[in-house]
Amino acid sequence: MTIDWPILSLIVFSPLLGAALLLALPKQRARMLRWMAIFATLVPLALSLVLYVDYDPSRPDDAYEERVEWIRIPLEKSAIGIGGTFELQFDYALSLDGLSLPLVLLTTVTASMAAIASTSIRKRWKAYYIWLLILECGMLGVFLARDLLLFFIYFEMTMIPMIFLIGIWGQMERERAATRFLLYNGLGSALMLIAFVILIMTAGFSIEQASGVLHYMYSGSYETIVSNLADPQAYANLSAASSVNPLYMSDGMRTSLFVILLLAFGIKLPVFPLHTWMLDVHREAPAPVVMLHSGILLKMGAYGMIRFGLFAFPEEAQRFQAVLAVFGLISLLYGAVIAFRHKELRLVLAYSSLSHMGIVLLGLASLNEIGMQGAVFQLVSHGLISALMFLLLGCIYERAGTTSIDELGGLAKAAPFLSGALLLGGLASLGLPGLSGFVGELLALLGLFDSNQTVASIAVLGIILTAVYVLRAVMATTFGPLQPKLEGIRDARFVEALPTAVLLAFVLLLGIYPSFVTDMIKYSFDGLLNHLNTRVGG
Amino acid sequence: MTYSEQAWLIPLFPLAAFLLLTAWGRSFRRFAPIVGAAGSFGSLVLSILVMAGGVEYRDRFDWIKMDGLSLSIGYEVTHLTSLMLVIVSFVSFLVCIYSAGYMKEDERITVFYGYVSLFVFSMLGLVLSDNMLMLYIFWELVGVCSFLLVGFWYHKPEAKAAAKKAFIVTRIGDAGLLLAVLLLFWYMPNHALDFAGIQNVFHGQSGVVDDGITTLIALLVFMGAVGKSGQFPLHIWLPDAMEGPTPISALIHAATMVAAGVFLICRTFVLFEASPAAMNTVAYVGAFTALLAATIALKQYDVKRILAYSTISQLGYMMLALGVGSMTAAVFHLMTHAFFKALLFLAAGSLIHAAHKQDIRELGGLGSRMKVTAALFGVGALALSGIPPFSGFWSKDAILSAALDHHPVLFAVGLLGALLTALYMARLFFRVFAGQPSAAAEPAHESPAVMIGPMIILAILAAFSGFVETPWNDWLSGWLLDNEAATHSNSPAVMIVSAAVSLLGLYIGWLAYVKKTIRPSSMADSMPGVSRLVELGYRIDDLFAAVIVKPYRMLGTGAKLFDRYIVDGVVRLTASAASGLGRMTAALQNGQVQTYGIAAVLGLIVIIVVMAGRRLWS
Repeated sequence: MTIDWPILSLIVFSPLLGAALLLALPKQRARMLRWMAIFATLVPLALSLVLYVDYDPSRPDDAYEERVEWIRIPLEKSAIGIGGTFELQFDYALSLDGLSLPLVLLTTVTASMAAIASTSIRKRWKAYYIWLLILECGMLGVFLARDLLLFFIYFEMTMIPMIFLIGIWGQMERERAATRFLLYNGLGSALMLIAFVILIMTAGFSIEQASGVLHYMYSGSYETIVSNLADPQAYANLSAASSVNPLYMSDGMRTSLFVILLLAFGIKLPVFPLHTWMLDVHREAPAPVVMLHSGILLKMGAYGMIRFGLFAFPEEAQRFQAVLAVFGLISLLYGAVIAFRHKELRLVLAYSSLSHMGIVLLGLASLNEIGMQGAVFQLVSHGLISALMFLLLGCIYERAGTTSIDELGGLAKAAPFLSGALLLGGLASLGLPGLSGFVGELLALLGLFDSNQTVASIAVLGIILTAVYVLRAVMATTFGPLQPKLEGIRDARFVEALPTAVLLAFVLLLGIYPSFVTDMIKYSFDGLLNHLNTRVGG
Repeated sequence: MTYSEQAWLIPLFPLAAFLLLTAWGRSFRRFAPIVGAAGSFGSLVLSILVMAGGVEYRDRFDWIKMDGLSLSIGYEVTHLTSLMLVIVSFVSFLVCIYSAGYMKEDERITVFYGYVSLFVFSMLGLVLSDNMLMLYIFWELVGVCSFLLVGFWYHKPEAKAAAKKAFIVTRIGDAGLLLAVLLLFWYMPNHALDFAGIQNVFHGQSGVVDDGITTLIALLVFMGAVGKSGQFPLHIWLPDAMEGPTPISALIHAATMVAAGVFLICRTFVLFEASPAAMNTVAYVGAFTALLAATIALKQYDVKRILAYSTISQLGYMMLALGVGSMTAAVFHLMTHAFFKALLFLAAGSLIHAAHKQDIRELGGLGSRMKVTAALFGVGALALSGIPPFSGFWSKDAILSAALDHHPVLFAVGLLGALLTALYMARLFFRVFAGQPSAAAEPAHESPAVMIGPMIILAILAAFSGFVETPWNDWLSGWLLDNEAATHSNSPAVMIVSAAVSLLGLYIGWLAYVKKTIRPSSMADSMPGVSRLVELGYRIDDLFAAVIVKPYRMLGTGAKLFDRYIVDGVVRLTASAASGLGRMTAALQNGQVQTYGIAAVLGLIVIIVVMAGRRLWS
């Protein structure tokens, strides 16, 4: 079966459509707003499931391409000095490959669960849900966009709703958190923009011949840029053939671009030492927003790093392999060590995210199939697990009024379902086989072991340190005698139990049947690996 | 078609039981024991059929498939695994029946049987695994079941601490095992991780894998076994794990899971045979642990802790057997130990159930109140002490003979351990059962038939299962080693010496605790420091706390402060400098988030314009 309707655009824009509908509803109708919002997240979920069923990893990447001419800015013709047209081109281009699909699925699932879990939001529902839906639209766009400008816009589109969601619905220090979020991410965006502009004005150059007329252009097309970067010789010939002579891409330039992109996306990932901004978000933002933030937004950093870092600059990635591995290792261990000492569960989980994203970097640094698949698997797995954990923390906060382990304890007695889920989530997080966390960790370490034995061997320490902090946090919450003031709290309600069960089901599914994800990403790294292999061979 | 082909079904019975119990929840409590026992029973029947069939079989399929490599899961029936399957499902079944009485009053009995069923599933999966990765997966799963069951009474702070400790200490070993898997994956031809492949590659030091790497892999595998099987120095979790319900101590922490380390080494024995250094390490660590734990057991007062140290010590014997190259002796002792130690724990549970005390200083004279339990406990104690013709005698004798062939020091250590074993068991038995009933023993009464029944079956096996491998009968070694020549070296001298030593131990115990002609306390009083040190398990726990836990805490606190003040400090400084600059240039810092949005959009437009106007600077 092939889909001949623009399913990608529908997926991206259906949440936005929902937001528009919400806009028309009166803001007092809380129930209706809520159902509407949940429905608006279910549409892209259903569509992405259709996509999953339809997706065939062996099909070429452009099977789902949706491309519409978007911006055409004519440039001074005198620069080319001959006939033909000379334009700056940006297209509305979406495409799907094995790297995008699992992240799109992660996004639609998590967003639906976050929308359902948002019953804990007590004020200004209408605005809240609208921002939530815009956020989802932006995230989906990021994973599907294949034009640099479009990608950038979607990327920014996730930032603005986040600022509002943190700043209005957050806790005590919400505004400070929102500001810091903006500062860091703004810096990241600025770096990204610099890199993108340079890329467009160099590798974005191409010449097309149509009906005897030469079209010279600078474009934001991802394919153009990657193929130009992959084949510098053809690119040089191209410039020589024309008199345009676009900016010469020296090796130094390539390296700096790669580093800038690493930094830009490293902030988002986050990687040590660029991680402190997200602590505030984890601590201050409302639980469903953190579900999305920790579950998906952080993944955009890794996604960008793969898509624009590794895929576009394979040689540079190879040269920086050790650097990536070492930073991954530091993030992994540093996060685990600090998570062990924090008493605020939200911060424990924040450092846990840092630590788990370290594993992603380790997997990427392997630059082999098994390790990079492990990295992507880890992205999906951590997305699900951290969404689950923050969902549960939200439930606990609502009941106990705190998420500090000093004031919690013995929850298993009062709320066995929540406690059981928290324990399972914790076990998934510490990499218990049978749950999703193990597979990502295993594949990443297996891969890295071939490329960098030393770092991989040290990274194995991580499985001990992770167990130490996870068990400390979870057991302090659920084991032990019940805190007197928690007496009589109720267990999960249906709207809490449902998303918990769904997320847990996925965590289990991925743990038992990892091919569910690995079959999707199967061929995603072929291009990169072939490139590296031919280079080594030649 | 043979039953071996259907062996994959064996773990599925308890898995089904687990799913059923989890789905039904607490309202199911009346049926929980039946469901749990039925699951184990299904496994037991099929395991017996598989073993009786005696056919070796293996099959596997891909779990994760990639371009050049795949990770697979599969099952493999060998003579060793089928024997293990029977032992595991058999003890599980009996423990499930026993728990119907022991856990009757517990309101979470459904959860209990659910966890037990999950454990049995995982343990059977571990045994059936055909490759290292799958074994690792189930290895972790049995670990988490052990964790859940040690912490079953989660509201007790001791249970909480013990569960956490059990998980983390064994995870140290697991890290080693994982590294071994990583190494094997990259050093084995075709990334094969299956045991059959390992057998082929390492058999007879073929030289496919470098000697140093072989030793490294073997030692890392052993590290995993050290954690799981409570060997020095990672044995510290096992005594604390006694916080769990007593049937669990019998099933997981005596008969099955703790023996998984021994089983693991048996499965990868060819790796060890290829590396003399690794073999010696196993032998000496095992012997040392056997002796060390036996001395500690002498100074414990908690019934279950005495038995726990005894388990550590006996596992040390199994390691010693492996280290001196006698897999048969190790498996033999694993089997007899599973029976008599499970029996001892169940009998201990029976008396704890009756007297509600487990400190031997508060117990005494229980023999007159609980005659059956006392008799059964006695059988277990005689088997453990190595008194002929009870099972423990034969298996321990096999180990000692093998040790003597290897090195006299190992033999001497083993013999000394045997003396101490008989002594601490005599102490335990006589202090609990002999003499006048103590206050705690006064109201005690015999346990119900549902608890006694399984104990009787175990007692029969504890008494007679030794006859599967005697100087005149080498059925077990024939079964395990198949066609290879069974190396039988039981010399009559060793048998006589070991029996004499065990009897001597019992006799000293009898003199000390019944006749009271020897005063053990006077010896302890003469060296109070040493006595206290032994009682505290040589303070190895404290050593861990001082050398690892405390420094790690400090490191954590340091890193936390470093993160807050240095890493974030630098960032904050930069940020405030930037915003200061911003304040000077524009009134952007008005706190209104809308402004930032507008700024972002404006910035974007500026960029586009700049790009469009690139001709100005090109």
